[in-house]
Amino acid sequence: MKKILIANRGEIAVRVIRACRDLGIGAVAVYSECDRAALHVRLADEAWPVGPSAPRESYLRIDAIIDAAKQSGADAVHPGYGFLAENEDFAAACRDAGLVFIGPTPEAIALMGSKTAARQAAIKAGVPVVPGTEEPLGEQTSDAEVLTVAGRIGYPLMLKAVAGGGGKGMRMVSSAAELPAALRAARSEAQSAFGDGAVYLERRILAPRHIEVQLLGDHHGTVLPFVERECSIQRRHQKVVEESPSLAVSPALRRQMTSAAAAVARTVGYTNAGTIEFLLDSDGSFYFLEMNTRLQVEHPVTEMVTGVDLVQWQIRIARGERLDLDPESLLIPRAHAIECRIYAEDPENGFLPSPGRIQGLRVPHGPGVRDDSGAYEGGEVPIFYDPMISKLITWGEDREHAVARMKRALSEYEVRGIRTTIPFFQWILADDDFLAGRFDTTFIDRKMGTPGSGTLQVIDASHEELAMVAAAVHLFTRSATAAPAAEPISVWKQAGRAEALR
Amino acid sequence: MIYEIAVGQGAHLVSVTRQGTLLHVAIGSRTLVVDARRVGDMTLSLLVAPADGSAPVTSVDASLATQRAAGDFDVHLAGRVIPVQVRQAGGFGRQKKAGAAVGAGPQRILAPMPGKIVRVLVKAGDEVKARQGLVVVEAMKMENELRAARDGRVRDVSVAEGQSVDAGATLMVVE
Repeated sequence: MKKILIANRGEIAVRVIRACRDLGIGAVAVYSECDRAALHVRLADEAWPVGPSAPRESYLRIDAIIDAAKQSGADAVHPGYGFLAENEDFAAACRDAGLVFIGPTPEAIALMGSKTAARQAAIKAGVPVVPGTEEPLGEQTSDAEVLTVAGRIGYPLMLKAVAGGGGKGMRMVSSAAELPAALRAARSEAQSAFGDGAVYLERRILAPRHIEVQLLGDHHGTVLPFVERECSIQRRHQKVVEESPSLAVSPALRRQMTSAAAAVARTVGYTNAGTIEFLLDSDGSFYFLEMNTRLQVEHPVTEMVTGVDLVQWQIRIARGERLDLDPESLLIPRAHAIECRIYAEDPENGFLPSPGRIQGLRVPHGPGVRDDSGAYEGGEVPIFYDPMISKLITWGEDREHAVARMKRALSEYEVRGIRTTIPFFQWILADDDFLAGRFDTTFIDRKMGTPGSGTLQVIDASHEELAMVAAAVHLFTRSATAAPAAEPISVWKQAGRAEALR
Repeated sequence: MIYEIAVGQGAHLVSVTRQGTLLHVAIGSRTLVVDARRVGDMTLSLLVAPADGSAPVTSVDASLATQRAAGDFDVHLAGRVIPVQVRQAGGFGRQKKAGAAVGAGPQRILAPMPGKIVRVLVKAGDEVKARQGLVVVEAMKMENELRAARDGRVRDVSVAEGQSVDAGATLMVVE
């Protein structure tokens, strides 16, 4: 493998480019019109345009991406996450074009992409699933039939899209009376998002934790599970804070969950990186939820506590290497890691998207800090894509230490010109229940619904006074003299001026 | 130089004078002595102490980002983002006295980004409460509800469902 095309953008494209560099492999970027000057294009060895800015016309264009791969002479394709990462047609198109797809087989993607087929695979592997329907309820299934099935499962229950993901086509139903309306809404949402209106039903676990197990599988029959990730802190069914290990998982429970996850993967002959998601009930019982057949956004927390470079292993597995890691070491976390997903959204204003130019950027550094980012000073955050601009990860000797470092890192992190979710994370990390590990997937909704939780930032009179001082001093020193005395003249500027005079 | 600066719930007159290498910044009855070094186009290192010596010198690293309206800044300091609005003294107009709540008068609801109007939730003449949803704009794959900042009555609705809007376009006025 000499050259890898990365069929993605943003921080994950940058992450994969770095893995290519570490292995001495060439990295080929693709870009849409608005991403011409994006960081992944700047860092890559080669870059190929694949179309206009709308994802459907560029990053989702299988033909354009395969074409770019052929023209560049790449021999493999890494899909990242999102876009075409879980599209079996794309994986098959790569194979047909003689390109190595760095991920599972198209067959595994198709199988685990169907939520009901995935549930059946889990049952076959002897892993408990949330009680619910084993067969999809297609568009033809009448409301009356769905009501009968729902009555058997019991309320409250979750109505989910068979082809679902990202919270789309998902509804909570607390009684039979609510079911018909919820069914209509979920079906129409699923139809427009995935082109498939089929749904299924699951009993609703009231206050579960979302725990997931990272896996790697090679082409020689080895599947290895990793220490769990805790992903219960979610907003609108999207993870926002992840950590490893989970406070709720004892070493004995870890053995059970990781063995169960590996059993599901072995049942379907899974290869490359994947993740099994579980719901963990307050009584310690756990249920298979779904499998993600790709690299996860939150993979860095696992890398931090195991020392394993997951993206590098994806590449090594794809080129046929044996997974010769020590299985035991992957289940014993080295201390603690936590991640915050930094979004270009204004948390003080209903999480309104905040695209635009990044006027200034100060990235945190120091012990135990990792910033996986696609942003740079002067760069644009376009309106067309997911608003995540970076992931901030910290490592500490224990959870308290990792959290303290995260607080420090967030206070150093400045993204100027656009608004970000940094204040939202400062608010979460100051919460007593979060600090004590008392939370489940309803945490954010409960906390944000509490009266008095209107503003996230603690800004007292002294901060306001200093902000006024800063603004006044800025304007005063800028206007007082053409070149303020405090600002040294750059030697580069002088050189530039000398150049211009020649 | 005197500036009128709105921050949080209040507006204040802030005067800046040069005293040798230092700046004296007066806000109300308080005077702060500031040693300011510009360390970037929009970044200042400030050493701030009250003129009366009542508190030790504080080191403040402050960076500013311009906002859409001239004179509006986000000030980043101490791990916080603090929006301020700066006008020449008297610039906030007669209707607002220093110290009065910022943002009296009609509120123009502006598109915060380019996008598409998904739903218009109110019509002209409707009474609305603070934080009530007014209009839903879709951008970045998400639907976003724009809300009223305070109680009022909807005056003009200038957009219809399905319409595309540019950033900064006036969608409606609430007074």
